[in-house]
Amino acid sequence: MSGTGLVVVLAVLAVATAVGFVLRSRSGRVREVTEPTSPNGWVLADARPTADERVLLLQLSSPICTPCRQTAAMLDALAAAEPDVRHVEIDVADRPEVAVALSVLRTPTTVGFDRTGREVLRISGVPRHAELTEALHGVPRA
Amino acid sequence: MSTPDSSGDAVRPADPPLDPRGVRFAAAVTTVVLALVLVSGSGWLAAAQALVFALAAFAGMRFAPYGVLYRKAIVPRLGPPAEREEAAPVRFSQTVGFVFAALGAIGYLSGLTVLGIVATAFALMAAFLNAAFGFCLGCEMYGLLARVRTARA
Repeated sequence: MSGTGLVVVLAVLAVATAVGFVLRSRSGRVREVTEPTSPNGWVLADARPTADERVLLLQLSSPICTPCRQTAAMLDALAAAEPDVRHVEIDVADRPEVAVALSVLRTPTTVGFDRTGREVLRISGVPRHAELTEALHGVPRA
Repeated sequence: MSTPDSSGDAVRPADPPLDPRGVRFAAAVTTVVLALVLVSGSGWLAAAQALVFALAAFAGMRFAPYGVLYRKAIVPRLGPPAEREEAAPVRFSQTVGFVFAALGAIGYLSGLTVLGIVATAFALMAAFLNAAFGFCLGCEMYGLLARVRTARA
């Protein structure tokens, strides 16, 4: 028996629990971006908005990443249901410069841009569906 | 037959996708074992856990002892999984676990107890985050490293 060992176990579990709750509370959260520093999203996505499109959801994924696939499926369905939303997925292994340009460290990260290419929101992890649709409705037509 | 992928690495024989519940189960067992290592101060127990990590990391996920236990003892009661996840990041996380558990074993067995405690504590932290929250530190690092590798290439 080691008294020090027991103390270390309890300390590690306490710290890890705190870290876990912080990570969980952040994951999937829609963060509204009011002072964007990102370059134009439509340019990064190599796309132009059609007359109807209001929001671009640019999803950054890595090659082997289960939550990236869940995110892609959700955003595809969302874009299919809402014609003014475009979803573009970029693999950071193919285009690491996009991750650098958007300062993205984790995948999946989804960055939302308005029609003019200005960043309006950002989500790391699998987005919370209700929260995202609500935030999308708040994006002005610009 | 292995073929080189675009980055030039030889492709290792691919592991079939994993049952995510099995990954969590293995992390829970690992958490208990690593906690016991710290409480008992046993370098040999740390070495045994390092061997468990090594089998998963170097032989392949289908040889991972806790995974075998999960498939034999628990899956028959739970039924098949609703979804599966890629094995490569999990296997990579087992490699990271191996490094820390091996350092822990070396520390305890050589009398460098502080090294043993610190290395084991890091491994315990990662295993507990995975077991309790489903957050895989080693898997996240895999994505990050893949990015750095391709950025340099």
